[in-house]
Amino acid sequence: MAYLTQPDYVKYICSCGQLKPITSLYFCRHCLKIRCGFCICHEVDSHYCANCLENMPSSEARLKKNRCSSCFDCPSCFHTLSTRATTQQRQVLQDPAAGGDTKVESKQPKKMYYLSCFNCRWTSRDVGIPDQPVASGGWPERTNPHAARVNQLIDYYKAIAQQEKQEKIERERKKFNIRGKYITLTDKTGLTGAMARNIAGLPSSESSSSAIANFVPSVATAEVDELPEDIFTKEVNLNQITSMPQRLASPDWQPVSVSRLHPLAKLLSVKRSQRCRACDHNLTKPEYNPGSIKFKIELLAYYHVPEVKIISHEPVKPGEKTALFLKLTNPTGHEMQLRLLQPEDIPPPEEKEEPKSIDKSLERSLVLEKDTTAFKAIERQPNISATSRVTSPGVTLTLAQRDDAAEYDDDAQHDTNDIILWRKSNKLGVRLELDTSAEAVGGSPARALVALQYSYRNTVPPAPSAAACRDHTLYTTLLLDLGTVSSN
Amino acid sequence: MALYEGIALIQEKQAVVLDLGTDYTKFGFTGEAAPRCIVRSEFWSAAERRVRRLHDYATPDELYDNLVHMLHLLYFRHVLVNPKERKVVVVESLLTPTLFRETLAKVLFTHYEVSGVIWADSPRLCALTLGTPAALVINIGAKEAEVAAVVHSCVVLQALVAQPLGAHAVHAELARLLDEDNGATLDLPDDVIEDIKVKTCFVSPLERALQWGSESPPRAARSVRYSCGARGSVTVTGRARELAAEPLFARDHELASLPDAVLQSLARCPRDARRALAANVVLAGGGAALPGLRARLAAELRRLRAQPPYAERLHVDEFRFHEPPGHGNALAWLGGAVLGASDAGAARALAREQYAREPRLRDWVCLLDNTPPHHPHRAYLDI
Repeated sequence: MAYLTQPDYVKYICSCGQLKPITSLYFCRHCLKIRCGFCICHEVDSHYCANCLENMPSSEARLKKNRCSSCFDCPSCFHTLSTRATTQQRQVLQDPAAGGDTKVESKQPKKMYYLSCFNCRWTSRDVGIPDQPVASGGWPERTNPHAARVNQLIDYYKAIAQQEKQEKIERERKKFNIRGKYITLTDKTGLTGAMARNIAGLPSSESSSSAIANFVPSVATAEVDELPEDIFTKEVNLNQITSMPQRLASPDWQPVSVSRLHPLAKLLSVKRSQRCRACDHNLTKPEYNPGSIKFKIELLAYYHVPEVKIISHEPVKPGEKTALFLKLTNPTGHEMQLRLLQPEDIPPPEEKEEPKSIDKSLERSLVLEKDTTAFKAIERQPNISATSRVTSPGVTLTLAQRDDAAEYDDDAQHDTNDIILWRKSNKLGVRLELDTSAEAVGGSPARALVALQYSYRNTVPPAPSAAACRDHTLYTTLLLDLGTVSSN
Repeated sequence: MALYEGIALIQEKQAVVLDLGTDYTKFGFTGEAAPRCIVRSEFWSAAERRVRRLHDYATPDELYDNLVHMLHLLYFRHVLVNPKERKVVVVESLLTPTLFRETLAKVLFTHYEVSGVIWADSPRLCALTLGTPAALVINIGAKEAEVAAVVHSCVVLQALVAQPLGAHAVHAELARLLDEDNGATLDLPDDVIEDIKVKTCFVSPLERALQWGSESPPRAARSVRYSCGARGSVTVTGRARELAAEPLFARDHELASLPDAVLQSLARCPRDARRALAANVVLAGGGAALPGLRARLAAELRRLRAQPPYAERLHVDEFRFHEPPGHGNALAWLGGAVLGASDAGAARALAREQYAREPRLRDWVCLLDNTPPHHPHRAYLDI
């Protein structure tokens, strides 16, 4: 996988104007456009623990604050903690009255478990957490020391908001004081008023006022805690003081001393599904099983757009024509017609005239909510400043469909002409000419711009209303990174 | 369980609270007592193959990209929720650049399609965590220390004082002292400096600080050998440990130290609120967590109060300090969580539809927003 470690020499221009390598692009089969991580909509699909690969429904994940209940991270070095077992001789209760049976049972050593880090040797015993009788779970849970006070504050402000709302309603009512001719019974007795309040789901007025009345604002003190006396004389043990990452790993407590560190319940991970912003179709959808790395839907550009790789090139010189060798690959299962163009030659995307039928307009009005303005806002003009142009050979190249069996054929066919170097199943080596502008300064990055026109067969079963148009001619623009312009 | 699910369906999704600080970002849910994560405000940029800081930007487009990447990291790596159709409480400083606010709004509304954003300023949120009618909020952030007076949930804008006396000032001084004591230009990375500060530094009391300035310096605290891996080890002398935070209290003719900023802010407040404010001081921000800082600030305030130019202007007799219900570095965040949980906050949200109609944010510096309704100029503004 050279893609992971090498710089991206060939970049495609996404429909939103971003420059990305083909491995990080998607291809929407419904819009027939290249999309990238920037212009698609990401969604959380499912939660799972990356350590135990246990799935967790999202409602449960919400309750558990997105933490796994059985896996823990080391609070000291953030490595995963392992559960260790020890045997502990249970205190044998000398009970003469008890029978032999119970005695045998109580003599059995009991297994106790603690957590230990194999990386930094931190154990849960270091900080005085008692060993647990069960292997997983049951570890003491801590609550935020300020939780009660925060809840008080929230109740207080909720009550105030409630009161404000009430007062507003009162004012409104005073303004239009139109009383009915008949004083109904409900108005006279307070009892039903409370009932109406109950039905409306509003808390009764007494409780809100009591929350306000019982609230005690924070009390300020004139005394501030001074530095401990021994700070000037005590030796500092750096191993006993936590670092910033250790503190921030548990935002609720932020322990200062190492002895207050507690195991961190492992944060869950999510599988994401991706959706095209323009047409709302899924681009990728992972399988539900956390152990599986496969996708249910996987519309990656790598499987749909012809791939271009640089084989080699002559040094780029200003004002000269140099040779460039490229490899073109057809990843699709259909034969592909390919032409190299200048980026200006790409026809502007024509606005499709919608057939004006009642059905269509109705459909339009239904999907009115989802407008494409958001997508338009994300689009931006790509920043392409290329020093060179690839001269278009003006011939149409034909690439065979991908054939997995043909991968094992070694001999490349040499039906060479002045453009095609070699041909091997769905791959093609081409020799092209690179035209560099005379203004290019030596030492500046050499980049070449080339546009591709390729035929694409859409395999999506067409909607009954749409025309059965399966073959499309699509365009994409690429930016090739050819090192630097040579200075002489 | 089934009932709970039902309620969750009817209820609006729990909003998230976002505090994008210069150094650390706090992110979590409303109604909770602490953020879910406090992470450095930086992300891995695949295109450049390096870690990028959120606040490093030259152009608006760059800032937009930074925000998109940072929020993606926060939503899908740390908090694990869909950003779509969920409200956000944004905790911001009153001095946040307009470009930053507007770009953040654009990212949230168009890129992440959130349903509404509640813009809340940090002094008011810090005061919210106390529940007192008046509070003097001293927020020591990464870059700046801001002093703001909040009276009945209103920031006294003319009393807003900010000085570049944040954690970075302490870091710079510590780096200088370390270089001096080790006799070499160490050029330690920021995170090492921060680690040294967090583990060893403290703020010395007033008497000792005065002694350091005189001819007979006090006996320094113990020095520490700090090992920084392959670089060998660095000696952190007692002097460096003690004096690293002195820039916050260094006074010159400009009167730009932290206690001066507090007193100046008080002096600009309405006369009848000053005593109440001085009796309700709260320290917030990560920079306020240095041991001894509160004590030193209290001592400095009490000393300077009796000196010119404050003695004859500021008739304040007592400074009282609050113990807020949360850690200083996430106090403004906590205020946001409290605000977002009550209905009052949710009602003040800028809805997505509203933003789509008119992409404009309310801002306290804008005349459209701060001209009172009966002001003679108001007529020119409402067009």
